Amino acid sequence: MRLSGAKIGRKYIVTDVRLPEELTRRLEVLGLTRGVGVSVMEMKKRGAMVIKFRNTRFAIGRQAADGIFVGGQNER
Amino acid sequence: MSDNINVAFIGNPNCGKTTLFNAYTGAKLKVANWPGVTVEKKEGISSFGGKQYKMVDLPGIYSLTSYTMEEKVSREYIMSGEADVVVDVGDVSALERNLYLTLQLIELGKPMVLALNMMDIAKERGMRINVKRLSELLQIPVVPVSARKRIGLKDVMEAVRCQTRKVQSVSAKNDFYSADISEKLEFMTAYFKQRYPETKNPQWYALKIMENDEKVMNEYPIDTAGILDVDYEKEIIREKYDFIEHVVSQVTEKKQERDDFTDRVDKVLTHRIFAIPIFLVIMAAVFFLTFTFGDFLKGGFEYALDFFSGLARTAMQSVGVNDVLISLTVDGIIAGVGGILTFLPNIIILFFALAILEDSGYMSRAAYIMDDIMRKMGLSGRAFIPMILGLGCSVPAIMASRTLENRRDRLRTILITPFMSCSARLPIYILFSSAFFGEYAMIAAYSMYLISIAVALLMAFLIGKASGTNENSTLLIELPDYKQPNGRTVFIYVWDKVKDYLTRAGTIIFVASIIMWFVMNFGMNGLTDNMSESFGAMLGHVLVPIFAPAGLGYWQIILALISGIAAKEVVVSSMSVLLGISNVSSAAGMADMSAVLGQMGFGTLNAYAFMVFCLLYVPCIATVATIGRETRSFKWAAFSVVMQLAVAWIAAVLIFQIGSLFIG
Repeated sequence: MRLSGAKIGRKYIVTDVRLPEELTRRLEVLGLTRGVGVSVMEMKKRGAMVIKFRNTRFAIGRQAADGIFVGGQNER
Repeated sequence: MSDNINVAFIGNPNCGKTTLFNAYTGAKLKVANWPGVTVEKKEGISSFGGKQYKMVDLPGIYSLTSYTMEEKVSREYIMSGEADVVVDVGDVSALERNLYLTLQLIELGKPMVLALNMMDIAKERGMRINVKRLSELLQIPVVPVSARKRIGLKDVMEAVRCQTRKVQSVSAKNDFYSADISEKLEFMTAYFKQRYPETKNPQWYALKIMENDEKVMNEYPIDTAGILDVDYEKEIIREKYDFIEHVVSQVTEKKQERDDFTDRVDKVLTHRIFAIPIFLVIMAAVFFLTFTFGDFLKGGFEYALDFFSGLARTAMQSVGVNDVLISLTVDGIIAGVGGILTFLPNIIILFFALAILEDSGYMSRAAYIMDDIMRKMGLSGRAFIPMILGLGCSVPAIMASRTLENRRDRLRTILITPFMSCSARLPIYILFSSAFFGEYAMIAAYSMYLISIAVALLMAFLIGKASGTNENSTLLIELPDYKQPNGRTVFIYVWDKVKDYLTRAGTIIFVASIIMWFVMNFGMNGLTDNMSESFGAMLGHVLVPIFAPAGLGYWQIILALISGIAAKEVVVSSMSVLLGISNVSSAAGMADMSAVLGQMGFGTLNAYAFMVFCLLYVPCIATVATIGRETRSFKWAAFSVVMQLAVAWIAAVLIFQIGSLFIG
């Protein structure tokens, strides 16, 4: 599923990042790599969301959240 | 090696690097730009153990690639011979991410020290780091430190001193990677060495070529056809993180993830529904403090000014100084410069509040909160940060737009930031709202801020529409842990701005006051007692027809507005010179002013149109120069001047004409 469809307060595992090259690289440098755990802290109805991975919070826009694919914590 | 030892400070944004840097160097900083780019360079001196250290604060970055200006500048500085030792500041609470930069630095092969910051906070959270083991695994000295509590500062310098004896290691270690990548790297290194045998640290270059690094590829062209089939950059990033995970699992003794303080606060401050109302309340509180508490302190300044001005006049009269000279000193310089100084408390409080918002970590939340609205205007929430900073001063706010990656977003942000009501406009509102709006003064002044944000957003939208590019880059910003603002950091920030304000009062405003006094007291026939015959009056009269529809068709008002282009506060000092009121910002002075202006037919509605015009028209010279510098284009600076004049005129005309229908 896409991160933009995730639920607040849940933790997921990143399975894939399908975004423009530059954005993908920026996210990976920050540690949003395949297999990393990501928690959804807060999200707006149709807008940006706050996520936490590797113990750091980031606010990301909807476009980015749409391109990050996640699975449940157990389906790796 | 020179006598000075050059120490470069590097680290992720929000890792406490600047706090640590300030702890060593204090407020005495040399701030400039790196040559050729608009990235700030901060330098300071510190001595330790009888040796002088020149410290350079590099920009906060997440990695050492060459994609952004900040990264390029940092990488080049470290690779140049200038830096003797690198201090890598790492935030323990986000150790994994911080170590990524550390690994890249290790690969560069410079003598370095890892300063593990915020150890105290980590301890409070029940996190333990085995520093010794971390140092063994990374093969670099690791020193725990708390920049805020100033613990471990000496230990870092001790480690730095040890490192200065080292020379650059010829080849950096490469056991971060899997066998597959290591093998390829080894092969590439040998291949690179063949081609460029003189290069130090060929392994680093080989790695960069595997990453397809633009800069290295350009400077060291090498034919990789048949050797490198794909771009290994992502592979390399992932394997670095794999290695980091391995290291972190070995050095953290107790890892716990619990609902920490920041998460709890964020549940409220970034809440879907409450976030925006809370933001507005915070901004209103900032304004309220600035307006009321600042006003309270201002009384003392006014009293001092009155006393001083009287003293100066008597003293000069008693020694028989020429009347013209007395007038220049008392009515020109003291009234002009002094009038501005009385607003200093308001300015201090405003910058104090902005410093706290920035240092506490709230500013990046504002970017998230406003993202939806900003997106509708065609910008990302990140552009909101320069806008808030614009409430302080347009110059640093425009420079803060450097953090926007997208060039078009940045240009638009630069163009709209001057619409944000800077602190120099505050004295105008205080003066005119108090003089004309009585008990509604604060509301009248606060409405300026609302208009300011509304116009800035509207213009962002219109400029985007006009250039046909309302697609924007998506938001991506770190929300750091909330922390108690650091007294030292806040002090340095505020002091910096106050110094600026005082410098302006002593230079631009000083000169502008003298010029104003001159154009008001001299006419075609030399010195004149009748101001309406002066040069100033002549100039003002010419422009009356243009300003009349806005309710500003009075030569004195026009002249004050023209003088405000030097710096917006000058409008206030000019009013006092123009109307011959010695202490215009005092209660009596304000009453005088509204009476004098009232006799000319300048009423409440005119005053409001005047405030709006002051809010929106040409930013000061310093801002125009900054726009020119940051956009590297005279054209954009000129465009911003014309656009703002037009917007100000249209807004003032609308307010005056529509208002006249109701009040008329």
